[in-house]
Amino acid sequence: MTEATIYGLAGLAVFGLGLMGVLGAADRLRRLVALNLCAGGAAMVLVASSWRPPPAAPDPVPHALVITGIVVMVSATAVALALIRRLYSLETDTDA
Amino acid sequence: MTVLLAFDLLLAASIVGLAAATLLMRDAFAMIVAFIVFGMLMALGWARLVAPDVALAEVAIGAGLSGALLLRTLAHLRGGSLSAQGGASVSAPANGATQGVNALLAGLATCALGLAYLGAPQNVPGLEAHVADAMPESGVTHPVTAVLLNFRAYDTLMEVVVLLAAVIVVWQVERGLAETPAPALGTVYQGFARVALPVAVIAGGYLLWIGAEAPGGAFQAGAVLGAVAVLGLLSRHVRPAPAHRPLARGAFVVGTAVFALVALGVAGAGRVAFEYPPAQAKTLILLIEAMVTISIAATLAALFHGRAPVAVSREETDR
Amino acid sequence: MPEFAPDPMTLAILLPLFGAIAAFLAPRAAPLIGLGAVGAMAAAIAAVGHAVAQAGTVTVPLGGWGAPLGIELRADGLALAMLGLTALIALAVGLGALSAFAGEAPADGQPMPRQRAFFWPLCLLLLTGMNGVYLSADLFNLYVMLEVISLAAVGLAVLGGTVAALRAGLAYMYASLLGALMVLLGVGFVYLQTGRLDFAGLAGAQGSPALSAAFALMLVGLALKAALFPLHFWLPEAHANATAPASALLSALVVKAGLYILLRLAEAGPFPGEAILTLLGVLGTGAVLWGGVQALRAERLKLLVAWSTVAQIGLIFVALARAGTEGLSDSWRAAALLILAHAVAKAGMFLAAGRIKDVIGHDRISELDRSAVRPALAQLAFALAAISLIGLPPSLGFIGKWSLMEGAMGAGNWHWIAVTMAGTLLSVAYFSRALTGFLRFDRVRAPLDEHRGWALADAPPVVLAGLAVGLGLAAGPILAVLDLGRPFGVTP
Repeated sequence: MTEATIYGLAGLAVFGLGLMGVLGAADRLRRLVALNLCAGGAAMVLVASSWRPPPAAPDPVPHALVITGIVVMVSATAVALALIRRLYSLETDTDA
Repeated sequence: MTVLLAFDLLLAASIVGLAAATLLMRDAFAMIVAFIVFGMLMALGWARLVAPDVALAEVAIGAGLSGALLLRTLAHLRGGSLSAQGGASVSAPANGATQGVNALLAGLATCALGLAYLGAPQNVPGLEAHVADAMPESGVTHPVTAVLLNFRAYDTLMEVVVLLAAVIVVWQVERGLAETPAPALGTVYQGFARVALPVAVIAGGYLLWIGAEAPGGAFQAGAVLGAVAVLGLLSRHVRPAPAHRPLARGAFVVGTAVFALVALGVAGAGRVAFEYPPAQAKTLILLIEAMVTISIAATLAALFHGRAPVAVSREETDR
Repeated sequence: MPEFAPDPMTLAILLPLFGAIAAFLAPRAAPLIGLGAVGAMAAAIAAVGHAVAQAGTVTVPLGGWGAPLGIELRADGLALAMLGLTALIALAVGLGALSAFAGEAPADGQPMPRQRAFFWPLCLLLLTGMNGVYLSADLFNLYVMLEVISLAAVGLAVLGGTVAALRAGLAYMYASLLGALMVLLGVGFVYLQTGRLDFAGLAGAQGSPALSAAFALMLVGLALKAALFPLHFWLPEAHANATAPASALLSALVVKAGLYILLRLAEAGPFPGEAILTLLGVLGTGAVLWGGVQALRAERLKLLVAWSTVAQIGLIFVALARAGTEGLSDSWRAAALLILAHAVAKAGMFLAAGRIKDVIGHDRISELDRSAVRPALAQLAFALAAISLIGLPPSLGFIGKWSLMEGAMGAGNWHWIAVTMAGTLLSVAYFSRALTGFLRFDRVRAPLDEHRGWALADAPPVVLAGLAVGLGLAAGPILAVLDLGRPFGVTP
């Protein structure tokens, strides 16, 4: 059992948990956090795929992909949060 | 070796456990904190997988900035405080049956994916040999930077475009939104911020510079500088005003614009877009990185701040 | 290597990007900048067309590295047709947006009305993403492009700023994000198996559990993005609650990105076998029926149009499945024709529906015949677009449906013909709900002078809807363009 297997499987488990969260959660914020878990899991699988047995250096390409993915995900999170804030303001204004 | 194996197993289990805890926490604040800790542990795992660049980016952006964004939104939903009293509560999932079925489906799918993962061949050669061959012509000595800024520069340009799109959408969505009780730091933290800000600025510049040959680079540097700006916003050292808007717009687009212009500008004389002349590769990459760092820092701070700067008096007339 | 410097493919992607930056920096000049950027983009696409007509398939190894290390842009007939379609729709929607957002002129010193200030940067970023998808030959790059598209599309969907639009926009964002993350994990599995990210690496790969997992993930993710039944739940509200120009872009172009990538995956193969293709056809059938029934029940015109998108997307999947895996080398043409037909007609129809709503002040179907004013040209455009979507000759929709049924007959798959027929009948039924409302204005004895006259805003929907009908006569040239560079590797 190599590091790649351990962390790769953990990444898949995290992705699966995130999937459950997205499908099962009712709350907007929680669903967004669950989506972030999915992203983390997918990134972990990619990083695990880059690992090589020690003397060899890891494959840098997945590392670059994951960095790109992290930046993309924070952008999407920020947009979703802006929508959540705006919706909350509008909903509380009309309900009150 | 066995100690390390045990450590890896423990760390992987903790990562999965924290992911589960994140979803199970009833209180939204606890959920976000669990998510941030999850990100930190994941970064530790990536460091174990010899991916220091990714670990840095995850700590700074994935866990750090996402966490800050989530907490800021939670404060908004709870009317300025992070405690659970008052404002919106994060309700637990209601429909047990649907949730059960969904969870079952997701679990089955995950098991299938796990089996497929175990069935995948181990250590298929990736692109590392190609990268190693092309490194001498890349203009930098750090492979991840070479991939990001040279071999797959087009992806990176589009990633900066995603950031630009995000800030445009956030400004659009929050246009005319009433002033929210933005969280502020207490006096102790204000003092801390005064000390920390210059240190962090220097750290960001160092990360940018070192990225050419060691882990670090534009994204990590941008994230650190973005965090600086966030601290500045929180400690009220920086108060966005309408006069800052043109400057902010310029900072958001400068990375994308310079990157795209360089990409097109190097084309011609037998070269295609993004094909830097080898002699100028290092200079051009540093120029792009510096501009992208500015854009990333400004954009991340703006994403945290939310809406475009509006004068308070204007605000009142708007409503 | 192309003699152009820089090459037109890169320009087709980057020109709208420069336009977006300029429009963001100078909001007041945004419409001018936007139309200029779309025009420049169309010129670049014409140059791509010239190159494709000469050489069949053209590729640009960005950075000079070439696959698998670098990213390659690749254009063939299918990509060219989609690029041309995008330019056409962007131009028409852009012109329509000029007057749609012209309503309240901003007083000096006041912030620009939100919709106008932000429409153009978002629209141009969307075009960057769309063109990037058509030209990409790299799986991870496609993921990034999908994210560019989804952020811009969400921004466009919530432009109106109403609670309904924001709610629908957030649901759309979540669906879109989940779809993209599934694609990302799928890309991870591909890399695990093949160690490459380009389509060529996929084509040469042996089947394996990891590759099956990759395809399953990408298939579900893209089906979510393309709103294939039952993953369509986010679409009707998001498209119906957006402002008309945004709805036109979302419905005509954005959902096509997922479909296009699915076509490309099927081309690169190894596409999962007969069973998966049949499943796609069955889900498409579900979409045709469910979308049709919901369109019959819709109370608002724009919601009806949005549900008809669900049904039409389903039909495109039926077209792909019509003749099994062996027939895929021909079925893609039927799917591509339906994609083009739906895009042109639906953009025209959404713009027309927006005009009707603007002129008579609401879009409740039951009260369409009680309006004193008569947006005659918009109604004409709506009817023409309906002709193409129903599939009456000589429209482009007819050619697409004919191609679908011809292939299904050839393969003896009569059940797909039955589905197409059922979908056609349903579309006649739901569109006639709106059309009868248009025709029965006699209920209101309003003086004719309340007619508001023609407006520039009527031109884009009429032109688009006219093209949706008229392009059926140009089916031969369109098919010739699609076959340039021989997508799916088969001689026509």
